[in-house]
Amino acid sequence: MSASPNPLLKIENLSAKVGGKNVVQGLSLTLKAGEVHAIMGPNGSGKSTLAYVLAGRPGYEITGGSVEFLGKDLLAMPAEERARAGMFLGFQYPVEIPGVNNVYLLKAAVNAKRKAAGLPEVDAYEFLQLVRGKMKLMQMDESFLSRGVNEGFSGGEKKRNEILQMLVLEPTLAVLDETDSGLDIDALKVVARGVNSLRSAERGVLLITHYQRLLDHIVPDHVHVLTRGKIVRSGDKTLAQELEKRGYDWVLEVA
Amino acid sequence: MVTLPTNRDENWRYANLRPLAKARIDAVAANTSSNPAIALPAPLPKYEQWVFVDGRFAANLSHPAPNSYASLLNARDAGEEFAAMLDAAIATEGPDFALARVNGARGDAVLHIAPPDGAEALIEVTFVASAEASAGTSYPRVQVHAGRGSHVRVVERHISTGGADSMVNAAFDLALRADATLDHCRLQNAGDRASSFDTLTAHVGERASYRLRTVTLGGLSSRSTILVKLAGRAARCEFHAASIANGTQTHDMFAEITHAAPDTVTRELYRGIATDRGKLGFNGKMVVRESAPGADSEQSLKTLLTGAGAEASVRPQLEIYTDRVRAQHGATTGKLDDQMLFYLLSRGIDRRQAQTLLQWAFIEDAISRVDCAELRVEIEQLVAAQLNEVSALEGLLGP
Repeated sequence: MSASPNPLLKIENLSAKVGGKNVVQGLSLTLKAGEVHAIMGPNGSGKSTLAYVLAGRPGYEITGGSVEFLGKDLLAMPAEERARAGMFLGFQYPVEIPGVNNVYLLKAAVNAKRKAAGLPEVDAYEFLQLVRGKMKLMQMDESFLSRGVNEGFSGGEKKRNEILQMLVLEPTLAVLDETDSGLDIDALKVVARGVNSLRSAERGVLLITHYQRLLDHIVPDHVHVLTRGKIVRSGDKTLAQELEKRGYDWVLEVA
Repeated sequence: MVTLPTNRDENWRYANLRPLAKARIDAVAANTSSNPAIALPAPLPKYEQWVFVDGRFAANLSHPAPNSYASLLNARDAGEEFAAMLDAAIATEGPDFALARVNGARGDAVLHIAPPDGAEALIEVTFVASAEASAGTSYPRVQVHAGRGSHVRVVERHISTGGADSMVNAAFDLALRADATLDHCRLQNAGDRASSFDTLTAHVGERASYRLRTVTLGGLSSRSTILVKLAGRAARCEFHAASIANGTQTHDMFAEITHAAPDTVTRELYRGIATDRGKLGFNGKMVVRESAPGADSEQSLKTLLTGAGAEASVRPQLEIYTDRVRAQHGATTGKLDDQMLFYLLSRGIDRRQAQTLLQWAFIEDAISRVDCAELRVEIEQLVAAQLNEVSALEGLLGP
């Protein structure tokens, strides 16, 4: 693989605190266009913190290092600008927002992105057609569109809805935080199909997961093991399989 | 001479009573002009329209139905009718009734709505305040006597013209006979300087259902006193109230619902948003008498503060004198949910729009039960305007 001069995401020696605790400690990672990276690690290793720091959630103090997204200083951008620039966070626990319906959120999000790119608002009819197509792929009933965002959705429905939003927004970089947790095998396949449909030479995906089973369906180019806030080991997809066999203790020992 | 309530009175602590002290207590003189230049809201289809300007009937702006169940009565006749209607008199002593008594003494004609047994009526009543408070007070008065099994829908609006610092003191007396249903929707959308006071009593008979939806948006000072008595077995009251106080507005409400008969049901929901230096008060009192075993009462009161100087006082009160009762009560005052906000921001939606959306989502609970589609759309538009973000909510509004 030839080295691209401009990676999508370049994290250098990143450290972050939350609630006074150092959770990310000197993490470095480079993700190029077209690549899927998986970050695996035990509970409390800093996986979700990394996802939130990348998406710009308040409450996280950056104590060192830098993050470049498409050559720009990501950490200097507010959350909404990061999204408009092509970053997407699939939440581990998507929040319910009764009173704001799904189709409204999708449209507002798409239009916010288009506006930032100097494009006119999306045509209502074409938009609905597009969303319907993506919903079919995600095996979601159309009635979800008129319901409140994630309102009364099961755990699996919430995760599908995250992927649906991702497919409609077509991000340059998707950060998916434990999108597989709480999914049965059928739902896992649907979610994987959604993610795979987005893979292309221009996009990148950062999959954060605790278990290897998601990686049977979304095959990563690189696998990193995160413990105590830093990457202790990187490899290809076989690393995930080895982890599955030998457990995280093995990596901790080696580290 | 009636003693007006003050902030020292138990149920009046959060009301802004300053305009009341300054206003002239006499009724505004009859407007002899033809009431030009009053912009009325679009009439609701199928509803008959009754319009009052400064508390007086405006025939030229009204469109009563032929053979209407509504009519104008003088105050004395209306009082007799009402007393004859009730199985038990509603107490009318104390500061909570002081304004209603002033209304009774100073007011002009009473709009009397009395559908007979089994009848249906759709009535839209609009009260326009046009005079300054220094010229006097408006005294609208409405009585509804719903016959057995009748179904009445009353849409009540309050508006003001020309930025007047008008003073309105309205009184409503409602009585529902057995199996009657009254859908009552009140929209208070007076101007920024207006003051709006009202007293409402409702007497709900056996298996009758009183559904009150109120939306309070306007006025410098707005105060509603709502006293509902569930007098007959299995009588029911649903009360959904929405309020948005901006700038230096004060919206205060006192609602006392008394379960006086077995198996009576209350569903009360209040959602209030205070922005800037707005103030909200909601005092929701539920009384379950010894005579009301099997009573079922739910109350959900929530306020959202989005301004640095905004204040809210939400006060649930429960008085229960029987063991056999089901009561669920909750009250919260909070700020916008950070997790919801971040979720919207993470989708690229700008901060201001995201905040407006969340306010909308919060208040929507209280207005979603308005079942007249035309009115619902109008209310949603007005709520969006009150949140100063019509454009942000485009696509959420409408049927």
